Amino acid sequence: MSVDRTIIKRAIVDALPLYVPAVPFALVIGLAVVEAGMNPFVGWSSSWLIFGGAAQLTVISLLGSGVAVVAAITAALVVNARHVMYSAALAPKFQSQPRWMRWFGPYLLIDQLFALVSLRLDDDPKVWRQYYLAAGFTFWTLWMFTTAVGLVIGPIIPEEWNLGFAVPILFIGLIVVGIDKSSKLVAALVGAGVTYLAAGMPSRSGLLVGAVVGILAGTVAERLRR
Amino acid sequence: MTDFIAIAVVGLGTYLGRSVFILALANRRIPDTVMVALQFVAPAVLAALIVALLTDGDGNVGIGAPEVAAFVVGGGVAAKTRNHVYTLFAGMAVYWIVRAVF
Repeated sequence: MSVDRTIIKRAIVDALPLYVPAVPFALVIGLAVVEAGMNPFVGWSSSWLIFGGAAQLTVISLLGSGVAVVAAITAALVVNARHVMYSAALAPKFQSQPRWMRWFGPYLLIDQLFALVSLRLDDDPKVWRQYYLAAGFTFWTLWMFTTAVGLVIGPIIPEEWNLGFAVPILFIGLIVVGIDKSSKLVAALVGAGVTYLAAGMPSRSGLLVGAVVGILAGTVAERLRR
Repeated sequence: MTDFIAIAVVGLGTYLGRSVFILALANRRIPDTVMVALQFVAPAVLAALIVALLTDGDGNVGIGAPEVAAFVVGGGVAAKTRNHVYTLFAGMAVYWIVRAVF
């Protein structure tokens, strides 16, 4: 396969600015691993095993806070459920790709990569593949590096700063940036409210109850809006 | 070891979610109701997670003045700038200041 340097360069130039918002997540993952008392290498493994900041933060902080393991896994998987939408949206484009690409490509499919490659669906399959892989590896390499940096600086930061609170702050930021209509606000408020009311449930299962009721509330609000 | 297995399971599940339509269901459409529901997954789950992360082992939710102030300011900065770096700095700064005052 001949590599087109201009495509590769284009992909890297497009990917770099999109990576900036992910930097605080990468660093906070490092802090969360330290705070959870997790083996640093195990924590960092989440970067290449999961390769998805919100789900990594979710499973790491929940495991550290004594939630039942199954609940921590389920919550992280639910966080990543949005990727199913990306998979469906790109499936037609992937049909013209070789088998290895159909197997490997999805591994790299994070929010930012989806945003980039879904803008280039008219590309020739080979060009699209080179762009996809170059942008994907750019994100991947930066992610492995910055999450490792987070692990190194994590233990240096004094505990009194309570930097674990950075996780809820970042989640608030993700919610606010993602809310583009009232029904999503309903989903967030109901999700938080029900989790609050269900806080006493065993093994923090209230989290899952709150999430499910929030999703249902958003769906209902969307129906009423139309 | 439990931690590693949990992370690996999440990794596998994440890969399955990203690959399911590309590998297996290329010609299927997601039913409309599911498509509608999927867009509420992120806001509902992230909001529920915030509360869960502030809950202690006895089921008490530790939300006081510093947390509320940080959420309001952090949320405001996020809405205005759509920049996670600013959101993080503003939210943590307010959290520390209010915590020091009260």
